[in-house]
This record gives sequence, structure tokens and C-alpha cells, in this order.
Amino acid sequence: MIFFFNSSLQPMKSGIEHAELKRMQLFLAHQVPALILLRDWNPTLHKTSHQAGLTDQQILNMFDYFQGTQTVTPKFVGVHDIDFGVAAAVYDEDPDESRYLVYDADHQLLGRINYAGENHRVKSVELFDGFNNLYRVDHYDERGFLSLADHYTPDNKIGTETWYDLHGQPVIEGYHRYDMEQEWRQTGWYLNDVHDHKEYTFDTIEEFTRHFLDAVNADYWSLAHPNIFVMDRSHLADWGFLHLKRPAYTVFHLHNAQTGDAQNPWEKILNNNYEFSLNAMDGYDAVVSATKKQTQDVLERFQPRAHLFTIPVGVVSDARLAAKQIPVKKRQFGKMVVFARLAWEKRLDDLVRAVAIVKQTVPEVTLDLYGYADSSDNYKARRMIETVIKENHLEDTVHLKGYTTDIDAVENQAMMYGLTSRMEGFNLAILEAISHGLISFTYDVNYGPNEIVEDDVNGYVVPNGDYQALAKRMIEVLQNPKLAERLCQGAYDSAGRYSEAAVWQGWQSLMVDADRLWPAKLAANRYITLDRSGV
Amino acid sequence: MTMNYFISENIFTLNSGTEHAQANRTRLFNQVGKRAVYVSRNYNRFISHDREAMNLTADESINMYDYFQGLLYETGEELPLRLVPQLALDTYHIHSHGPNYSTLDEAGRQVAKITVLPGTVGLVNEIMWNDRAGNPTRRENYDWRGFISSIDYFHPDGNLGARYYLNRAGATVIEETFMNVDGQLQPTMWKLTQADGDQRFNTEDELFLYFLNQLVGKDGEAVLISDRRSLDAVIAKVAPVRSRWAAFHGLTENVHADGSTTPYDVYQPVLTTLKESYDGILVPTVRQQEALTELYPDSNVCVIPDTVVTEHHEHQVTEGAPDHQLLCVGRLAKDRRPEMALQVFKRVVAVNPEARMSLIGYASSTEYLEELKQLAKDLEVDSAVDFAGYLSDDQLGERYATGRVLLSPAKQEAFGITALEAMSYGVPVIAFDVPDTASLIHTGKNGVLVPEADLKEMANQVLNLLTDQSRWQTLSTQAQKTASAFLPNPVIGQWNQLGF
Repeated sequence: MIFFFNSSLQPMKSGIEHAELKRMQLFLAHQVPALILLRDWNPTLHKTSHQAGLTDQQILNMFDYFQGTQTVTPKFVGVHDIDFGVAAAVYDEDPDESRYLVYDADHQLLGRINYAGENHRVKSVELFDGFNNLYRVDHYDERGFLSLADHYTPDNKIGTETWYDLHGQPVIEGYHRYDMEQEWRQTGWYLNDVHDHKEYTFDTIEEFTRHFLDAVNADYWSLAHPNIFVMDRSHLADWGFLHLKRPAYTVFHLHNAQTGDAQNPWEKILNNNYEFSLNAMDGYDAVVSATKKQTQDVLERFQPRAHLFTIPVGVVSDARLAAKQIPVKKRQFGKMVVFARLAWEKRLDDLVRAVAIVKQTVPEVTLDLYGYADSSDNYKARRMIETVIKENHLEDTVHLKGYTTDIDAVENQAMMYGLTSRMEGFNLAILEAISHGLISFTYDVNYGPNEIVEDDVNGYVVPNGDYQALAKRMIEVLQNPKLAERLCQGAYDSAGRYSEAAVWQGWQSLMVDADRLWPAKLAANRYITLDRSGV
Repeated sequence: MTMNYFISENIFTLNSGTEHAQANRTRLFNQVGKRAVYVSRNYNRFISHDREAMNLTADESINMYDYFQGLLYETGEELPLRLVPQLALDTYHIHSHGPNYSTLDEAGRQVAKITVLPGTVGLVNEIMWNDRAGNPTRRENYDWRGFISSIDYFHPDGNLGARYYLNRAGATVIEETFMNVDGQLQPTMWKLTQADGDQRFNTEDELFLYFLNQLVGKDGEAVLISDRRSLDAVIAKVAPVRSRWAAFHGLTENVHADGSTTPYDVYQPVLTTLKESYDGILVPTVRQQEALTELYPDSNVCVIPDTVVTEHHEHQVTEGAPDHQLLCVGRLAKDRRPEMALQVFKRVVAVNPEARMSLIGYASSTEYLEELKQLAKDLEVDSAVDFAGYLSDDQLGERYATGRVLLSPAKQEAFGITALEAMSYGVPVIAFDVPDTASLIHTGKNGVLVPEADLKEMANQVLNLLTDQSRWQTLSTQAQKTASAFLPNPVIGQWNQLGF
């Protein structure tokens, strides 16, 4: 079994989650069993994962696993399902706070019920004793069971957290105490493991996570094939992967540059998220990056004994590859688009500057920006874009279109795609662009844009930060219909590098490597016996 | 048929006369075909063990927590700490630190401390888990029957924060919360989970009242006896029953220098504010009845023996080879003056070096026990004195059966349960002539009363009985006769007369 390890799933997904979901679809399509492991407790996880198209059998959350709640028949828990232990409770609704205040007949506050949704599903209940002390807060899973209780201290902090199974028995506990410097911290975990009916205690969630990985590894144990664990977020399990009880095949997956400055693979300071894993790299069996360039940079600098694999995180579906190709002449001349958050690292003000230059020669040029505006620094990135538009009088040329999901409609009619990011982990958007036959223009930035875009094949790669050069290339293309058609065809053709078959080939080679190593791992761990006669 | 509920706080490991009296009464009633049960309030996860030590069957004892936890008839098995099933022994070492506790260690660091049940070899008592700084985080409290009875959680300062009482399946049936009231940490809520809904209570006595009402139910025929003054108020509130009594044990009054008496404070409510709720008060001696009736003329004070002698016992002294065993039975506490017994014994042993003495009973404090042992050394009698501690009924019976004389040096004695028990074995009692001893002991007939604090005379009387075999025999025979009045039949007759 292959496992993809992550923290959680949120309705707003980042690149890592998108990559994971695409990978999951790929494995499903090839009928190779795979399971997404999620570490963090999340009372609405199953709703989110269903929305992402995942079944309860395709995800396994660590808390669910030990609470025995991976699959639960949903039940509605409403306000009147909460038993306060008094005969005639009085309910006062406080709609501004989405809650009810509950009193006994003597107007003693018993609790506050926090609800969600129009039907007032119970989210949590704050419980008070007869002396007005908040002593506990019960948290309900959206599937309708008490999942977590926070026990409060007399000074109103969460002292003990208790997670329950469906029978109301405590199975996981977390403890918080002051340390010597009077800092309030989590100081330990307790687990009553239903799988072996033993009790365990952990200092940190990393130790707890390791126990979870061990349990899953044992559950799916097979002498024929190793379990493969892919670490999609290093901080969750970079230590745990190194300390598994039984052998497994462990994979360290890079989703971003390995250095702080992606353009400088020899920078001394490493990307903080990967610093430990990179230093401990030979403790893992494999390292995956999404581009050949990143693989090469890691190889040159670290010379790891771990096997390196290049497996794109983006996949172009067979349906997309087979879709009818649209020549440039049927597209809107001069229309450039980009799908990206309006954020500092995307540097889209540079792209607008380039368009301003192009417009002086090719007045038909237009640019549509699709994406949310990042709110940091009071929407600074968006304001910078707006300033450039204003300075260059581009109000009729450049449009901020907001977020859309209708990529096909937009990209089938545009002609060009532009990217001026400071750095990238891969950039799924530009992959979408070439698969729609858009001619792409990008800065030479790591990792992804300068590999997905091939110079003079499906677009142009210009020096990082040189928007004049980017403008020059755009003008060349716009003034040369033959060149434009060649690059458009080049875009369609180059998308084949990211076909399902091509990406699957990458994963297959990783699984072959895992199988190849397996007998040696089994023997080293005394699961199989080598011939020791004559020794 | 009427069910009699005899109600007190607990059955302890070391019980006082009150608990013994209550247990004896429970057994007596059931023995003669009346139905009675010993009801206790306090949480006691050793209750099955303590009840058996008091010779009460599961039918004869109902503890409130046991009742709600569904454990009344649970048997279970004693559990050695090394065999606790949920310990992961491929992950943790059990490291023994002597007979009282072991630790659970991971890579040399303690993760839990496991204490041993008192008086056992290695049976699991509590497992206290701790975090990496050694703070208590979770304590699993084991029932004597070998399963987890409750789980404790702690506040940051190490004080108890919450206790979850479990049923046999491990589900919580009562949660007890400890929070601040006026800056003072105390239990602030008991929440009871039952099949037909939850109930919450601000005090343990509210829970106890709920429990008693559930027990007594709609049975208007129940009879209640409150055996502890701390419970008089809550028992007064129980739903209507056939009758409701308060049984007084031991001394009830302060005796002043002029001979006048006033009841101790704890006895006041049931004689005054709670009087209307009770049908009457039971005292062990006529003198107490008279004293209380004089002070509270309109109260209904009835006399009933505080104990019962189960049967005639054979004394095992063989003719011509008398042994020289002196007994002093009862709690080792200042008011019972065991040091006087030692001083008397010093005089005895000076004349009769073969004499031996056993002090039987638990000490009010370890310091006091050490004081007494030091005194025995100072008196140079330590090698002849056995500090036997608290003994079970059976063990005590063996001591009575071979004892020669029971010394009763107490300053006051309400009824004298131990004196009566000794007499039932034919052991004559030598006591000081203090209030209430005269109701049982008659000099020259079944024992000897000597003037208060006259150690020399007490020693002389002991020496006399150790040597004068025919006098000893006379007193012994008569002592057994006296005890006969407290056999089940006559005693139950008295209960019948009171309408029980």
C-alpha cells in the first residue's frame, strides 16, 4: 500500500493538497490502492474530503484511526440532544454569536451551545458547574458524536484534552502544563490503543505520529511488497519516518525549493521546512522532486545515497490531451491570461509592465489576471498592479477578473500565458496553459516554469526580472503568425511530457525500486531468513 | 417484606466500633430472616475486600458508588501489577522499587508509577502517568477486584481536577469536577449518567439523597437507621418510609466535673432541629437513655445493645497448664489509655515473668504507636508485649479463645463491645470502675472492677486470676453467662419490641 502523509484537508487547498489529490486520482485510475494519511484532528474533515471527491476509505486521519471513527454513519446532533442533567432546562438563543445559553429553573447557567448551519447542528458545548466555573468544552464532530473534550483549569486554560471513541471511552489525551519558565505548553500525550489494548505515552505529537505510522505499517503489512510512505509535509513526520519500528519504503517529497532563494541552489541557508530532511536525507529511501532541474540541483549539492526521482506533481489528463486543438488564428489576437493569486511572490506588476511595452507596438494586446488578491500588507500586491496600470493608462488593456474555475473557456480563447514569479514549487497553472495550447512567457525561475516552458518550443524563457526581454519576445510572436502557430502546436505537444502515462511511469519506477529493496530490508529486520550456513 | 437500611459513610480497612456494630446488626437481622443491608456513601474501591473482612456478603452491603458503577455483585480477580493487561511491555520496563511501588520506564525515564495495594504482594493499586517533567497527568485507580474503577485528571498544580467513575465496561457513569469556589479548590459537581438521562448535583450529599431515594424507591415499608451523625441531615430528607432512626454509638456526652452531662455537638441536630423527621434514637445503655431523656424529655430514646454475640465460644485454656496471655483490645488512642495497660503489665510481669500481653487494634497515629512501643521498652516489657495491630474478626476470635484476662483501662466506655466479645469466649474482664462499665461487669461474678486509675490494684487482680485457677473458672463461666443475654435470640427480641 502506498500512503501520502499530510496534516489535513481544508476547503481552500494549497498546491501540496492539489498535487496530492491529482496523485490520488492517478493511483485510482490505475487501480493501485493508495491512502491519504492525515495527522491533525479536524471535526469537519469528512465533509471537506467528500467535497474533494474522496471517500472515507481513501483517507485515514490519525485521530479517527484511534477513535475508531474512520467511517461513521452520520447522525444529527441538535441543541436538544445535549443533556445537562436537569429536569427543566431553559434555552435562550443568542443568534449574533450562533449559540444558545442554557439555564436551569433557578437561572443558573448550565452551558452554552455553539451551533452551525441553518438546522443548528451542535458544534461545541461549554459546560459550567454550579459555581459559574467553565470546567469543560465538548466538541462534536459534524458526523454527530462527541469527539473531544477540553478540561479547563481554575485559571481558565485547557489542562487536559480528551478524545473519545464512539462508546464515550477516552482513547487519546493531551496534557498542558507550565514549564520552568511559566510557559504554558503541551507536555505529553496518552493513547489507549484499541488495536492492541495497550497504553502508550508520548512526549510530543511527533512520537505519537510515529506510533500511528507503525500501527498503519503493521495493519497493511505484506512480505510481498513494502508499504510506501510519501511525506508531503516534512515537519509532520521527518523524524517519525526515520524511526519506524518495522521496515517500510520512505519517500521525502519536495514541494518547494530546497534553498531559501530558489534561484540559488548553493545558498547556505536551506529552506527551513526541508532543512532537517535534507540533512537526514540518507535516512529515507527516496527523494521525489517535480522537476529534473531540482533533482539535478539536489544531486549535485547533496550527493545523497537515497534514490532520486523526478515525478511531476501536475498531470494532464488523457481527455485534455485528446481535446480538439485550437489554432492561433481562431483565438483572440493579443489576449494574454494568467491564473495566480495577486501576491508578492507572483510579481504580477512586472507582467503588466511588459504588457505596457508591448502595447506601444501591438495595441491589440490585452491581459486578464484571474485569481484572489492576497490580503497581506493591505493588498499590497494588488495595489502595486493597479499603480502600474494607472501609470501606463492600461485600464482598457489589463483586467483583474477575480477567481474563476472555468479554465477551459478562458484558455481556449486566449493566445498567450505570462508568468513573472519570483519562485515556484512547480506551477500547475502554466501546465494547464500549455495543455490548452497557450504560448507561454516566463522568467527563468526555479522550479517548474523554466522546465514546463521550453524556449522557442512552446514559448520563451527570459532572464529573471527582465520584463523588457519578456515584452520583446511577446512582440516577436505577435508580429509573426507563423511563429505563433508553431509555438501553439509546440505547447500542445509539450504537454505530453505530463500525460497520465508519463507521470504514472515515474511512480511505477519508484514502486519498482521499493520492491527491489524489499528483500534486503526484510532480511535486515529478520522478517525473512537468509542462508547463514557456513557462517 | 420490610427492608432495613443501616446507613453510614463507609466500610473501612480499619474499622471503628461504629462500623462493627452496624455490620453485626446487619448480619443479625439477615440471620433471623429479617432483611437488612449495610449502606455506605463514600467512594471505596476496596469495598469488596473490606466488606468481606467484615463478614458481610454482597447481598448485605450496598455502596453508593459501587451501585452506580454497577459493581455490587462484580467478583473479578486480584491483579498483580506485572500482569496488568494494558501495559505495553515491549515498550516499557517495569522497574521495582521495593514492596510499595514500581515504575514504568521508557529508555530509562519514568513514564508512570504503579503503587501496590496495601498489605498485598504486588497487586496493582494505582497507575499514575506523568509527563516528561514528572507532573501527574492521569491516574488509573484500580478496584481490589482487578479492574480500573476510576480515572483522575489533574490541575497544573497537581491537585485533582476531575475524577471519572467507570462501569465495568469502562464507560463513565459519574464525573466529579474539582474547581474553585471563593478561591478554594473543591468538588463542585457530580454528574451522573444513567440510561434514562443525566443528573447533576452540586454536593456529594445531593447525590447520596438521590441514591437513597432510588434505593428506598416507592417502598413505604423501608426502615432507615442513620449510623453516622454526618448523615443525619441527608437521611432526614429521604422520601417517606415506615420508620427512621438514629443509632448512637459510643459515648454521647461530655461528663462534667460535677457529674452533669451534655451531648457532644454532633448529636444535637437529631435531638433538636431534625427531631421531627426521626421516629427515635437508639442508644446502647440505660444510663445514656436516662441522661438524654432528662435533657430532651419529649424525645424517644430507646435502648438496644450495640452488638450481638454470635454464639458461645469454647475457651481453650487447658486445666493445670494455664497460659498467661493478657489482652487489651481496641483502638490505640489516648482516651483508651493503653499506656496504663503497659504499666499494669509491668507490675504483673515483675511477679509472674511468664505473663505476656497483646495490644490489639490500630493506632490513632504512627507517632502514638511509636510512643507506646518506646514506653514498652522503657518499662523493659517490650519482649513480652505483642503489638498485634488491627485483626479481622476471625483472627480476633483466636486471640480471645486463648486469652486469660481482658484489660480495659479506658477512661469511659459506652457499651464495651470488646469486653462483651471477650466474655463470650469466657475471658473475664478487669476494668476501671468508670461510667457505664458497671452495666456489664460485676466484680467477683464475671470480672473485676477496680477503682479508677488504681494500677496497683489492677495488677494485683490480674496476678490473682493468673494463679487462682478456680476463681478464674468461676468468673469465666459467669462471663459467658452474661454474654448469653446478647446472643441473637434475646437481642432480636429487643429489636422486635421496638417494632423492627
